[in-house]
Amino acid sequence: MATTARTADTRAAPGARDRTAAPSERPPLKPQTAILYAVLIFYGIFSLAPFILAFISSFKTYGDIVNNPASLVPQPITGANYQQILGSNAPFPHYIFNSLVYAITTAVLNVVLASMAGYAFGRLEFPGKNVLFALTLAVLMIPTQLILIPKFLVVNALGLANTFGALIIPAMVTPTSVFLMTQFMKSLPHELEESAMIDGAGRFRAFWQIILPLTKPAITAVALFQFQGAWNDFIWPLIVMSSQDNYTLTVGLSYFKGVNFIFYNLLLAGAAINIAPLVVLFFIFQRYFVQGISTAGLAGR
Amino acid sequence: MQIAERLPFVVRPRARRQRHLNWRRILTAYAFLAPYLIVLVVFTLIAVLYAFYLSFYRVNLGIEAPVFRGLKNYQNIWFDLTHDGDFKVGLINGVKYTVGVVILQTVLGLALAVLLNQRVRARGFFRTLFYLPALTSSVAISLIFLWLYTPDGAINRLFSIFGLQGPNWLHDPLTALPAIMLLNIWTTAPTFMIIYLAALQDIPPTLSEAARVDGANGWQVFRHVTLPLLRPTTFLVVALGTIGAFQVFDQIYLMEGAEGGPLRSTLTPVVNIYNTAFRSSLFGLACAEAFVLFVVIFAFTIVQRRFIDANIQY
Repeated sequence: MATTARTADTRAAPGARDRTAAPSERPPLKPQTAILYAVLIFYGIFSLAPFILAFISSFKTYGDIVNNPASLVPQPITGANYQQILGSNAPFPHYIFNSLVYAITTAVLNVVLASMAGYAFGRLEFPGKNVLFALTLAVLMIPTQLILIPKFLVVNALGLANTFGALIIPAMVTPTSVFLMTQFMKSLPHELEESAMIDGAGRFRAFWQIILPLTKPAITAVALFQFQGAWNDFIWPLIVMSSQDNYTLTVGLSYFKGVNFIFYNLLLAGAAINIAPLVVLFFIFQRYFVQGISTAGLAGR
Repeated sequence: MQIAERLPFVVRPRARRQRHLNWRRILTAYAFLAPYLIVLVVFTLIAVLYAFYLSFYRVNLGIEAPVFRGLKNYQNIWFDLTHDGDFKVGLINGVKYTVGVVILQTVLGLALAVLLNQRVRARGFFRTLFYLPALTSSVAISLIFLWLYTPDGAINRLFSIFGLQGPNWLHDPLTALPAIMLLNIWTTAPTFMIIYLAALQDIPPTLSEAARVDGANGWQVFRHVTLPLLRPTTFLVVALGTIGAFQVFDQIYLMEGAEGGPLRSTLTPVVNIYNTAFRSSLFGLACAEAFVLFVVIFAFTIVQRRFIDANIQY
């Protein structure tokens, strides 16, 4: 009860300020406000419409998709596209599995390894720290596609080409994750592990038992970004995975676009399968996504 | 503060701080850093040095050991640049693409952030909605737009409602690159919106209120107070945007193919480097091309820094 009352109060406050001009009970909707909401709603539709249309159309037949691309009612409604993609003979369940392996493994490894590195950068003093952290920031600004070819040649020289090692090992701890963890580690009060260590705990125990549990928001952001990055990654798996058994979902989807024919019906169902998990994750964890992006945005200061 | 209070330990001030760093401490720190440093050194630093080394070689994977050919690869690039080769076409397209995309997505990201920074109900709802294009994979988006951009597709149906005849977006050399640019602006602007929104919320409201008291109108406050304070963010957003735009690959590869059709109008630098390496198997030349591109992007970033610094008056 108290909470609702307080929310109502804060909501009334801006209105109260407006009322100094027009002393009526409810302030009339100002034209600026109406325009503001109109623009917001318009851009919202603009952001959402392609997805809605594609999702609805993934339940259409091929003919319906090509003849009525803009209709919002499939005629007939069919689940055949999904059946064809996810059916027992189709390779897609296997591609989805490969993508999940790539995304989950690198997300977990980034959480563990980047929090260790972030702990060292954020909370320990050692010679070379500033140089190495500056290097991390510099690497963030290197165009990643530019080291694609040499990275492929290194992976090839290590005998990792066409194995999951090629996907996972180079991505197991990224500079972005390390930067995010470092920023968060720095913000925690310094007395935390000192007191623990006075009580006899070692560095690793202090890190593992005291600090790590407190970094949950940063850990969540790192895990989400890495999952998203790996799940959406296209060019790297395209380059390093040569046998069809090792394709990820994105690489598999790219083959719906044949040279002479495009299976729009399967393509839209496949795109929906690719998008859905991220949308679910985003709705659950959006606070952490937003915090993570905002923190990453501080890199330039 | 709250966190410290919840701890089961008694927080005792240290009697004396150990000022000198002993070897054990250093070793511990590097033990924490070891996995990261190994990955960084092997897959970034060694890879960059290796690429520089190979840019002077002819590389035929699995056929022969690299053969030294001096500056031949760089001479090839020079020849390409002076004779309308793919690298030159790619570079010009890359510059057009980058300039257009970076300017528009930065303005759009800032505009959306300013709108959401007003007294808006359901701000979180709108932010979520706007962010959807940025969340989705470039592959899924490219495939969806491959369909939306067809000559008789949904976008042209929308045009025909207003009595307009839409172009054959992806197969007309005039519209192919702009169509992909629009797509990229749409998917990247929301990320920059969130970065700008965080920066806007960091600005103390007293500053704009003071300007208001001095008689400034909304636009003047934005132009002379808010915008200068956002300068570090703008530089970051423009730099990240430039790096991202110059590297465009997925959308082109999926929507136009590795040839960068129609008539090379969507051939971009990374698509070209991909072709050099994986279709022509000229890895040494691809490394040289990557270095030239790196220099171009680096130069762009420096020019932008100058420009953004010079254009803001306090």
